Amino acid sequence: MATAVDAPAAPTPPRRNRSRLTLRNTFIGWTFILPNFIGFAVLTLVPVIALFYIAFTSWNAFGQANWIGLENFSRLLTDGTFHTALFNTGYYAALHIPLTLAASLGLALLLNHKMRGIAFFRTVAFFPYITSIVAIAVVWNMLFSPDSGPINQFLMALGLDNPPGWTTSSTWAMPAVVLTSVWREMGYYMLLFLAGLQAIPRELYEAARVDGANAVQRFWNVTVPSLRPTTFFVTVILTIQSFKVLDLILVMTDGGPGTSTLVLAQYIYRKGFEENDFGYASAVAVVLFFICLGLTVVQFLLNKRKEV
Amino acid sequence: MKRTMLTGAAALAATALTLTACSGGDDTGSGGEGDASNVDSISLAGWSLSTTPEFQVLADAYNEQNPDVTVELKEYDATEYDTQMVADLAAGSAPDMYVLKNLKNFVTYEDGGQLLDVSDVVSEIDGDLAGIDAYTVDGTTYAVPYRQDAWYLYYNKDLFDEAGVDYPDGSWTWDDYAENAEELSDALGGDALGTYQHSWQSTLQGFANAQDPEADVLSGNWEYLVPWYERVLELQENDAQMSFGAITTNSVTYQSQFGTQQAAMMPMGSWYVATLLAQQESGDAEEFDWGFAPAPQMDASTTETPVTFADPTGIGVNPAVDADTAAAAKDFLAFVASEDAATALAEIGITPAVTNEAVTETFFSIEGIPTDETSQFTFSTHEVLPENPVSADTATLQNILNDAHSEILSGGSSPEDAIADAMDRAQSEVLG
Repeated sequence: MATAVDAPAAPTPPRRNRSRLTLRNTFIGWTFILPNFIGFAVLTLVPVIALFYIAFTSWNAFGQANWIGLENFSRLLTDGTFHTALFNTGYYAALHIPLTLAASLGLALLLNHKMRGIAFFRTVAFFPYITSIVAIAVVWNMLFSPDSGPINQFLMALGLDNPPGWTTSSTWAMPAVVLTSVWREMGYYMLLFLAGLQAIPRELYEAARVDGANAVQRFWNVTVPSLRPTTFFVTVILTIQSFKVLDLILVMTDGGPGTSTLVLAQYIYRKGFEENDFGYASAVAVVLFFICLGLTVVQFLLNKRKEV
Repeated sequence: MKRTMLTGAAALAATALTLTACSGGDDTGSGGEGDASNVDSISLAGWSLSTTPEFQVLADAYNEQNPDVTVELKEYDATEYDTQMVADLAAGSAPDMYVLKNLKNFVTYEDGGQLLDVSDVVSEIDGDLAGIDAYTVDGTTYAVPYRQDAWYLYYNKDLFDEAGVDYPDGSWTWDDYAENAEELSDALGGDALGTYQHSWQSTLQGFANAQDPEADVLSGNWEYLVPWYERVLELQENDAQMSFGAITTNSVTYQSQFGTQQAAMMPMGSWYVATLLAQQESGDAEEFDWGFAPAPQMDASTTETPVTFADPTGIGVNPAVDADTAAAAKDFLAFVASEDAATALAEIGITPAVTNEAVTETFFSIEGIPTDETSQFTFSTHEVLPENPVSADTATLQNILNDAHSEILSGGSSPEDAIADAMDRAQSEVLG
C-alpha cells in the first residue's frame, strides 16, 4: 500500500533535470541526422546555392567567375537548341508519365492476386530496375535495330511493310527511348502501387460486392480512390524523374539522330562539361529546377483541392 | 629506422615545398631560375595505364637517363579525362604535368591559364617536331607533343586477293576509294563489305576539313561537306559500307569489323597498328595479311605528300608547381621531344612526334608489322593537319556538326538540309 502511495511522487524530477534530458535527447537526435545532414549540406545544398550564383556569371571552371547579370537568361530566349531540348523534354515527359503510370498500375493489379509463384513474377517485374542502364541501352538498341532487330522482324512478320527506324529515325527515336524507360521503371512503381493496394481494407470490396458492384465498378469506385495517396506520390516522383532524364538517353541515342532526343539535362552536360561554359549550363539548370519545382507545386495544390 | 628517416625527409621536403611555393609567388612561371637537381620526383597524368603503356614507357626511358628523378604516374579515367583534369586543376590537386588528350580542349586550359609557358624548351629542340604549331598561341608554346597520329587506310590483303582487286598504292582519290569499295563488296558477295567507316564524325569531317581547300570549320560555312556526305550515303546504299543505323544500334566496334575480316578496308588512325598487332597476338583478331596505305586524297595533286589529319598529343606543365619542379618538368619535356623518347615509343607501336629514319626503322622492326613499301611510305611521308582548329568556339561548333552528322547518316535529312540547319545554328548560337 505504502509503495502505491509513494509511487507518483518518485518520477517527478527537478525542473533542471528535465531540461537537461530534453537537451540530451535533442543532442542524440542531432547525432543521428547530422551525418546525413552534413552530407546533404556539403554535397547538395552548397552546390545548389553555388549554381544559382554561377547562373549569373560567365565561368569556364578556372579563375574568377565574371558577373554578367541576366545575360545567360536572355541568351536562352534566342537559343534554338535550348528550345529543341525543352520541347524534347516535355515530349518525353508527356509520353513517359502516363505510360509508366498505366503500366505499373496494371502490373500491380495483375500481381496482387494470390497465385503460385507470385514472388517470382514480382521479382521478374522488378528486375529491369536493378539492371545496369548501359546493358539495358545496348540490348534495347539491338532489339530496335531497324533491319536485323527482333522488333522490326516481328512487325514485318505481322505484315507491316515499312516498320519504323526506331533509334535511327528522328521521328521514332523518342518513342523508342520512352518505351525502354517505361519497361525499365515500371517494376519500381509497381512495388509502390502494390504496397498501396495491400493497404486497402478488404471490407470496402466486400461492401461493394454486396451492393452489386462489378469488377470495373469496384476498380473505379474503390481501388482508384483508395490508391490516391500512392498515385499522387508516384506522379510527383515520375514527373521530376522525367524532366531530369539523362542517363538512358546519353547511352542509348546520345541526343540523336540530330537533336531529336536532346533533353535539357544532356544540354546542361554538353554546355558545362563538353564546352566548359559553366555559367550558361547553370542557367539552363536553374530553368530546369524551376520547371520541376513549379510542376510539383501545381501537383500539390491540385491534390489539396481534391482532398477537400 | 629507415621509415623514420623517410618520414623525416618527407616532412622536410613538404616544408621546403610549402616555403618555396610561398616565396615563389607569381613568378614561378617565368622559368629558368629553378634548379631541377633539387627535385627527385615529378608527377604526370595519364589514363587507363594498364592498356595505354605509352606513359610508363616515357617515364621509364626518362628514368634510365636520369636515375635521380622518378616520374610518377597519376591515373585518370580515359573517357572523363578532361572533366577530371579540369576539376583537379581548379582544386589545385592536379599533377605537375598533364597530357593534352585532344586539341579540342587545349584552348580551355590555355585560355584558363592552366599551362606554363614552355617556349624555352621548344627553342632548344633541333629537328622537326610535328604538331608544335597547334600548341603555339601568339608566339608562346604551351605544350610539347610526344605523339603525332595520322589517319591511314588499312586494308586486308587476303580479301583484296580473293576479290582480285589491286591494293591501294597511295594514288587513290576518294572516288577511287568508293569505286573499289563497291567492287570489293560485289566480288566478296556478302562474306565481307568493301569498307568500314566508323560512326565518328572524324571518319568523314576529319578528312574533309584537312583536305578540302574550301574547308574552314570556324567560319560556319560548311557547304563543302555536302559532297563528302553524298559519297558515304552512296556507299551505304550500295551495300559497300555498313549503314550508320546498324553501327549505332548494334554497338559495333571498328576493331571487330576489320579484325574479324568483315570489311576489306577501313580508314582509321595510326594507333590501330599497335592494337591490331596485339589483337592478332591475343586471338581477338583473326590471322590475315594486312597493310596500310595513305588516306585517299581529294584529288591527285597531293598524292606525293598525302594530306591526312589527327591531333597531336602533347604534355603541358601545371603552372601551380614551384620553380624547381617546373625546371625538372621542362627537362622531362625536352626528353619527350628527343629521338630517344621517339624510339622508345615506336618500339610499342606508337607514332611519335619525331620521325626520322631511325624511328621508322624501329617502328617497322616490330614483330608482325607489315613491311611493304606502301606501308613504310605511309608511315614516313605525309602532311598531318590537326583535326580541330584551336579556338574557344571549336567545342560548340563540333557538337553542332556532330548533330548534323548523325542526322544525315541516319537518313533523317538530306545532306543539304542538315548542313544548312547546322549553319543556321552556328550563326545564331555561336558566331552571330
